[in-house]
Amino acid sequence: MALLEIKNLSVHFGSLERPVIAVDRLDLTLEAGEVLGIVGESGSGKSVTSLALMGLVDPPGRVSADILKFDGRDLLALSLRERRAMLGRDIAMIFQDPGTTLNPCFTVEDHLVETLSVHEHGSRKAMRARALELLQQVEIPDAPRRLAAYPHQLSGGMSQRVMIALAIACNPRLLIADEPTTALDVTVQAQVLDLLLRLHRERGMGLMLITHDLGVVAETAHRVVVMYAGQVMEIGKVPDIFVRPRHPYTTALMSALPENNIGRKRIQTIAGVVPGAYDRPRGCLLAPRCQYAQERCRTECPDLERTEGGEVRCFFPLDAARKPDHQAECETLGSQGFSS
Amino acid sequence: MTETQALLQAENLAKHYPVSTGFMKPKALVRALDGVSFTLEARKTLAVVGESGCGKTTLARQITMIETPTSGSLRLGNIDIASATPEERKQLRPQVQMIFQNPYASLNPRKRVGSILEEPLIIHTSLTAAERSEKARAIMAQVGLRPEHYGRYPHMFSGGQRQRIAIARTLMTNPRLVVADEPVSALDVSIQAQVLNLLMDLQQQTGVAYLFISHNLAVVEHIADDVLVMYLGRTVEYGPKRMIFETPCHPYTRALLSATPRIDAAQRKTRIVAKGELPSPLAPPPGCAFHRRCPFAIDACKTDAPVLREVGGHLVACHRAGEI
Repeated sequence: MALLEIKNLSVHFGSLERPVIAVDRLDLTLEAGEVLGIVGESGSGKSVTSLALMGLVDPPGRVSADILKFDGRDLLALSLRERRAMLGRDIAMIFQDPGTTLNPCFTVEDHLVETLSVHEHGSRKAMRARALELLQQVEIPDAPRRLAAYPHQLSGGMSQRVMIALAIACNPRLLIADEPTTALDVTVQAQVLDLLLRLHRERGMGLMLITHDLGVVAETAHRVVVMYAGQVMEIGKVPDIFVRPRHPYTTALMSALPENNIGRKRIQTIAGVVPGAYDRPRGCLLAPRCQYAQERCRTECPDLERTEGGEVRCFFPLDAARKPDHQAECETLGSQGFSS
Repeated sequence: MTETQALLQAENLAKHYPVSTGFMKPKALVRALDGVSFTLEARKTLAVVGESGCGKTTLARQITMIETPTSGSLRLGNIDIASATPEERKQLRPQVQMIFQNPYASLNPRKRVGSILEEPLIIHTSLTAAERSEKARAIMAQVGLRPEHYGRYPHMFSGGQRQRIAIARTLMTNPRLVVADEPVSALDVSIQAQVLNLLMDLQQQTGVAYLFISHNLAVVEHIADDVLVMYLGRTVEYGPKRMIFETPCHPYTRALLSATPRIDAAQRKTRIVAKGELPSPLAPPPGCAFHRRCPFAIDACKTDAPVLREVGGHLVACHRAGEI
């Protein structure tokens, strides 16, 4: 059984008549002990998905789902108190910017002891010992002294390690990391990713890694979910999804990376911008920016279809040569493609 | 690189900031920039890479004349920026323009695009309002903004378009040098590619030189001609892009390269782990500033600061360059 099962999750903001659709009918599963990468550009709904899982979407935001199950328990049916007890203990989260998520008025020890005392019982002394142990697990040098430190006395990498220590304090079975390394330098990013993967291996945690950096997921995740404007565009295994992407958006994202344009004068780009809240296209959300779009794509929104090894939301998924299956139909379209 | 052609030439450039360490205590000195030398020619791009706190932005502040260097020389054409008179500085300023990292913060939200673009002309030229407007519209077309954008406010634009406005503003005074401080790091991948293409097109058309500050090595690999790798205010490696990326000699450069996540497994390098984090610039380690994080450090690294020397056709500051 999957550790996390989501069917038809939608998150809407704004008025009922004219909602802003942040997440649109998302289906997702995460197996125990799996590293699942979620990638997408800003506004693709990756962070809102994780907030909805954590129950952190406040009104007027509206979360609806057919199934939202964690470890067989229906999160939507739980009472507030039961859900509260589960969060932080069974599902924990790491946020993007460690500088703003730690409370500047409290020491590292206060943070850790608070988290522990919410979910576990024990003497202050025992918790202190646990706190120290946690800091050592996240490889903070000179841990005993760091317990007394305030967040402003820590560097970015160090704060993120404290955030990780907080998240793993109660041995969660699912860790959601929302852009855990975006605010960090590359050498520190590598250290933090190594640490997350080591903890994942040692504890058998499921890890949901939300990022906009394709390189990071390629190096860490088992499976990748590609999101665009609130919808899942493609789900696939690593490295297959990067070797043989099926969705034109995945292909376009990859070819926009400078590292895939070595030797070229210009970088291939995706024309246009992500659709705004109120100008979502009627058909496929990518249609206005897609070089393979056809008449059907502009009027009908494709469903997420199961393919071999993954799922893809496209009427004309690409084959191994990164050409659409129905090449003949596409040729009638002319080219409005990937220009700059 | 003959000296006569150089557009910008820095020699032993240094900037030290005194910082307070407490009441009645002596001031400490942060050597944010400590003897950096490089040359940049017209129509070329010099990329400056390094982690936060290595002095990249301090360097940009010296070149754009926001601050005056503590010592060393910085020649733009024939004039030394470091010792220029106020009149000379005023003449130099339109020739050096800057693009900032965050286009959400660098555009005045209360001004329309037109007046944002025309402000440099009001300061530096005596053009009439009609001429200014004409020039602004011409530059807008050049960076891919539409004529109707002229009267809009910055909040009506997406991040990529805002960065185009910021780029248009730098071009208004026909600069010879543009300092771009992390110009694409706040942008999404697809938009980043558009902006990088634009920057390269503009260089082709106008012959402007870029000092391109970035921590993203994949971007640098695409846009740069020369690369300067900095660590704690000093140059650790400097040379043509190809050499830095193909035969990096300094352990720090290698650590940076191997830490950059790659999609293609074949491109991934054996990870050279830089232990720990950047040391405090208030108390830099003795000897080589990198030795505590370096997997190849020997005893000499702890006591003697390495000087830049030529190894394999480019400059490296490492005792063990060439042997590791």
